[in-house]
Amino acid sequence: MLNKKLIVVALVMAFPVGVMAAGAAAPDASGGCGVGSKLFENQRGVAPQVLAMTTNGMLGQIFAVSSGTSGCSQDGVVKSNWKTSMFIDGNKTKLARDMSTGSGETLESLAKLIGIQDQHKAAFFQATKDNFSRIFASDNLTTDQVVASLKQVLAADSVLAQYTQSI
Amino acid sequence: MPGRWILLFILLWQPLAVSAADNIYLKELVEQARQKNLAQRPEWLNLLHYKPYPYRPGMRSLADDPAFFNSPHGKTDAAAELESTLAVFFSTAEETDKTQNPQCRFIARYHWLKKELHFDPARLREQSCKRFDQWHAALDPYQITLVFPAAYLNNPASMYGHTLLRIDGKGQDERTRLLAYSISYAANTDETSGLVFAVRGLFGGYPGLFAITPYYIKVREYTDIENRDVWEYQLTLTPREIDRLLMHVWELGPIRFDYYFFDENCAYHLLSLLEVARPGLELTDRFRWWAIPSDTVRAVAEQPGLVKRVVYRPATATIIRRRLADMDDRQSGLSRGLAERKVSSTDDRLHGLPVAEQARVLELAYDYATYRSASGRDTTTTAQMHELLLARSRLEVPPQRPEVPVPVVRPDEGHKTSRLALGVGSRGGRRFEEINLRPTYHDLMDDDGGYTRGAQIEFFNMKWRHYRGDDSLHLEEFTPLNIVSLSPRDDFFTPVSWKVNVGWTRKHFSDNDEPLIFRAGGGSGLAFNMPGSHEGNSVYYGFLEAELDAGKQFDRNYAMGMGPALGWLTNISDRWRINLYARSLRYGLGDAHNARELTLEQRYSLNRQSALHLGLHRKQEFQDYRNAAEISLQYYY
Repeated sequence: MLNKKLIVVALVMAFPVGVMAAGAAAPDASGGCGVGSKLFENQRGVAPQVLAMTTNGMLGQIFAVSSGTSGCSQDGVVKSNWKTSMFIDGNKTKLARDMSTGSGETLESLAKLIGIQDQHKAAFFQATKDNFSRIFASDNLTTDQVVASLKQVLAADSVLAQYTQSI
Repeated sequence: MPGRWILLFILLWQPLAVSAADNIYLKELVEQARQKNLAQRPEWLNLLHYKPYPYRPGMRSLADDPAFFNSPHGKTDAAAELESTLAVFFSTAEETDKTQNPQCRFIARYHWLKKELHFDPARLREQSCKRFDQWHAALDPYQITLVFPAAYLNNPASMYGHTLLRIDGKGQDERTRLLAYSISYAANTDETSGLVFAVRGLFGGYPGLFAITPYYIKVREYTDIENRDVWEYQLTLTPREIDRLLMHVWELGPIRFDYYFFDENCAYHLLSLLEVARPGLELTDRFRWWAIPSDTVRAVAEQPGLVKRVVYRPATATIIRRRLADMDDRQSGLSRGLAERKVSSTDDRLHGLPVAEQARVLELAYDYATYRSASGRDTTTTAQMHELLLARSRLEVPPQRPEVPVPVVRPDEGHKTSRLALGVGSRGGRRFEEINLRPTYHDLMDDDGGYTRGAQIEFFNMKWRHYRGDDSLHLEEFTPLNIVSLSPRDDFFTPVSWKVNVGWTRKHFSDNDEPLIFRAGGGSGLAFNMPGSHEGNSVYYGFLEAELDAGKQFDRNYAMGMGPALGWLTNISDRWRINLYARSLRYGLGDAHNARELTLEQRYSLNRQSALHLGLHRKQEFQDYRNAAEISLQYYY
């Protein structure tokens, strides 16, 4: 009986650790949450297709509820200070696509995260399109680089400058 | 309570300070709970995930994790669990990052018992649950949505579809839905072999866990990578019901339920969450044996007033097809050239077009390049994809993304997944009656409204036949597994079609010798749309098939052969479909012989849940040729 109890205790203790390892979102050396790490790397090839069948089994994407703190998340939800960068990180290619036309749900969602007011949304969308070549200067940027150049673009715009600090 | 379990509680939630005064109040509460028979109330049983045993009377919890229970008998004794749960609520343990006070750990139970027993805060102090409160605030719930990524052609295990719940936040709308969170129930495994997963999954070989994930990750997974159309059923749960659901999800946190591919799967467990949210909903009862995600969606949609609105989210491939439909060949050829690196984004043929058309060509090229790289053909580099976007961003025209029409039949509106057919026929001059039971799920001849066209998946198909003059009914066919993926190819999409089947069937050795033999078959091939038809309305196909027959009637107990099959599957009208095919197999190994078959199948839908089926066959096995015809009435239930 005691063995069983120990297993229970061990499970309870081990679980959050397991999730951290699985999520590949453990805090990085700089104390951040590992944005840009493997979690969101572009998936391609046969492996994701096979994984796709498990659909239910993508361990890498499990955020456990009520499991405590891991790098970017608290009990499964993304910590508020990581929300925007995590979103950009997870949606870089779709964001690039949306910015190239100045529209789309990824861009709308980003505007919402930054807190762009309705009356400034059109200007924001247009600015990302006009400055596409600056924001996405090349095809292999880190999330930090995208954030930095997006900030520059906003700062240069008289109306949008107020949002520079919100990213 | 036995002493050793107190030890466990001390291990888990120290310090557990139960004073003498608490004990008196605890006794009162227990007494009250017994009088009200709370432990047998559906609300309590739902919170514990109690379900009847499939084979014998009685109930037990589906949770397989001792941490989910406060009583050692919690899995089978709901009353003991209730009383032990009341006891641990007296804990004054402070919440930490790794541990919680039992009132928070079992927050849904706490609030339900508090309401039923009118806890006296002076005698049972309410603990604050900061972690839960923060979590709840971060989710900012407004609405719960049942999300159904439909089947994904060419991937057998996804043909059933999948379900998850989404927590929609206040202030989100359809344009910013990516910011929501999803709740899914997942087998916790990094198994990459589909077959191993399927087999172990059948027998509960994996721990299943509830997980919460930003919805944008799920959208990526389903619509971008797997190319599955997604259906979102927004539910009418009230704020109170949503809170109950979230409290219960919190409670389930790291609790393990053994994952069973057929019954205790994602779809089943999500329904149980809805039952907790809205007492009185009875959604899981009908899924005692298996739970197909589309059936669980149907169960939800059939509940009066539970669904508010349905939103359709087309997959990348669906959007590409829509774009193609709006374009001429020259433009789409240009898009393909761009995506395949055969045409440069500075090409004159592109710049000669009006600006809006240039934008359409570039957008399609980018979508197609994305699709190609997601399916593993990385002929387009990210630098080239970046080129396409750069070129597109320079064009001053609004986005050219097409509106994808919502399919007329939703997944919950298609034919039901079990089918019973009664028929009569004649073979080689002998009349017969036939019963066909197909427990699940869909074949190529069924009406595919609400289903993925070209995806056949059948389990445990059984056919019994009675010939006139015979005394008895005999098993004609038993096919545990029969999957066909018929996906037409075109310039943009080049899938390989395939089929696989395993089962027992009658083989005609001679007129008086027609034993049941084992058969395993498979094949791969190509399918194409008939010129002028679209969306798989009329498809012709060719396969190379192989078959292994085994039985003691064969010389050397088996025969193995291969050969070609050709066919044409087409809709004559919305209700009427035909499939004409011919196969010729040369069994060269084992008991050498030939088998040939020419078949015309027709299905005419009477309504969504019934159809007439007519089959005409000419078959050769060994030497004899025989003709057969049968007509049956099919009923879906």
